[in-house]
Amino acid sequence: MDNRRSNRVHRFQPKFISLVDDGLSDYMNLIGMLCSMCALMLKIKFCGWIALFSAIVGFANSRVSEDGKQVFSSFMLSASAIVITYMQNPAPMKIPYFE
Amino acid sequence: CKMRSSTILAFIFMCLVSSVAKTAKDEDFSEFDDFDHDEFVDETPSSTGATPSSPKTQSNKQESLRKEDELQPKPSQSNDEEVSIDDDDDDLMFDEEEFESSDPFGSPNQPPPDLKIAEVPANLTGSHWEAYYCEGIMIIALLGYLINFLIGRTKNSQLATAIFRSQRDMLRENFTVVGDNGQTKTGQEEEQTDLMQKESENLYILWCTGRPSIDSMLLELRFVKRQCLFNSLAAIIKSTNDTIVYTVDYSKEDMDTFVFCLARKRCAAKLHRDMIDLSQFCPEKKAADRKGLSSSYQILSELGEVSSAIIDTKIADFMNRSPDAIEYIHVSDQYTGTKTQTTDPQSPPTPAPTNTGTAAQQQDALNASERAVRRVLIVAFNLVPQNGQSLQVTSELASNDYLHFVLYLMNRVGSFRLTSKESKAKANKNRQRIEETFLKSVNQQRQEQAQQRREEQRRAEKEKVMKSDDPELQRKWDEKEHKREMKRRQPKMKQMKIKSM
Repeated sequence: MDNRRSNRVHRFQPKFISLVDDGLSDYMNLIGMLCSMCALMLKIKFCGWIALFSAIVGFANSRVSEDGKQVFSSFMLSASAIVITYMQNPAPMKIPYFE
Repeated sequence: CKMRSSTILAFIFMCLVSSVAKTAKDEDFSEFDDFDHDEFVDETPSSTGATPSSPKTQSNKQESLRKEDELQPKPSQSNDEEVSIDDDDDDLMFDEEEFESSDPFGSPNQPPPDLKIAEVPANLTGSHWEAYYCEGIMIIALLGYLINFLIGRTKNSQLATAIFRSQRDMLRENFTVVGDNGQTKTGQEEEQTDLMQKESENLYILWCTGRPSIDSMLLELRFVKRQCLFNSLAAIIKSTNDTIVYTVDYSKEDMDTFVFCLARKRCAAKLHRDMIDLSQFCPEKKAADRKGLSSSYQILSELGEVSSAIIDTKIADFMNRSPDAIEYIHVSDQYTGTKTQTTDPQSPPTPAPTNTGTAAQQQDALNASERAVRRVLIVAFNLVPQNGQSLQVTSELASNDYLHFVLYLMNRVGSFRLTSKESKAKANKNRQRIEETFLKSVNQQRQEQAQQRREEQRRAEKEKVMKSDDPELQRKWDEKEHKREMKRRQPKMKQMKIKSM
């Protein structure tokens, strides 16, 4: 017996997906931007590296439906923060409270 | 004349040498030691003997200065013995001038003079790249994360493909459309997908529709976030596992009115707390062992007869055969999601009274007088490696059984109808109660919004009147306000009067 009925076809809508999102991607984007700003303004190298890390973590946890431009822009911002900070002061980084 | 020219030459030579020494990066002055030993006989035992007694921090600077001093007299000494006496005097003069406060031949009890030596950055001294060890650690950590991302993503993708391939044929036999992203044109239905739709690196979905007695079935593969190192570590600590969730949507006439949930103890409390329909319609939890199931499960049911009807022998057999396979079964005709997703079951997920751009959405939500409920059957299975097999092999073998089970349960729920009148009456009563509370809250929100709008209008009028600077207008507006306030107060007074009489 064929259990298929073509008259009972309904199109998929994104609202049917249950949102199990923990918001990690958004938090990582925010932290990335804040740390990039700290690195650029206050010339803290450690913040630049944290920004790059959070951009990568945000990218790993992002959804396909989300805009890729935001992830790309946070990457670029963090990379530029690191490059500019090292150009201003090529001395090696010191992790705070460790030395 | 010879003496003069030689001294002048020597002086110029010294100046050149000192300038080169300053510009050179890694200048230790050890070269001058070699230079001294090679070129000149050791003439200054006194000055070299004094250096060991001085403290180490100052030794570099002292040595460098002494060596410069040595270099100056040495060429002259080598040329002419007569000069040496003068040079000794020069040495002493230099010493006295340079080190006024210290006495190199004095007692060692005196505290060393404070000389602040500038710290040379580590990257400019001998070790260049070794100084950047922190950056190296960061780069290694980043590379490690990226490698884990690639490995985790590949593993999740392989799992999804394996599960889909094991279920594909059965799905195509039971549904007209297997795999729909909602965007392709209807004429392209014949093209069947070979992959599940990827929502994120750990969430794969498949939309199936075109079957009697149901609207649609959504298959979700919720994997552990293997692509993120931190999440995979957290999953190991919390011992979470991969799950397959089947969400079947019914239309109004396909399903009777009841709310039921069978869940493992670890998630029963969470579901009871978070799911709006379970918290509204199912007041208490009961142990499932009364129905012949394992004691690790609990039942939340609105109506007594439902649990006996839904949990029949076939389902009990499946659960006994695969004890930990089912995470939960949730059947509801009043499904509105979780409390965290929507603050108000009716409105879209935005907070209630805001006056920003979501006002239009809120207005639409408030205009509708019905709650947006869905009639669903949700079954969640755990994917855990069993019998020593790998996760992929277990998933391939087990997912077929899971789909059989879901299809059977789907038909059972669709065909079940409440038999006793009491159950029907109780169900209707519960739904009416919830509907009334919902309508009250909607009315209240509408009133609040109307009041806010009125206040805004009044404020706008007031601003206009104040700006116009016309005393007549202001007087008229004040009179209006006064009348409004009197009207507001009056009804209360009237009620008081009637009561007293």
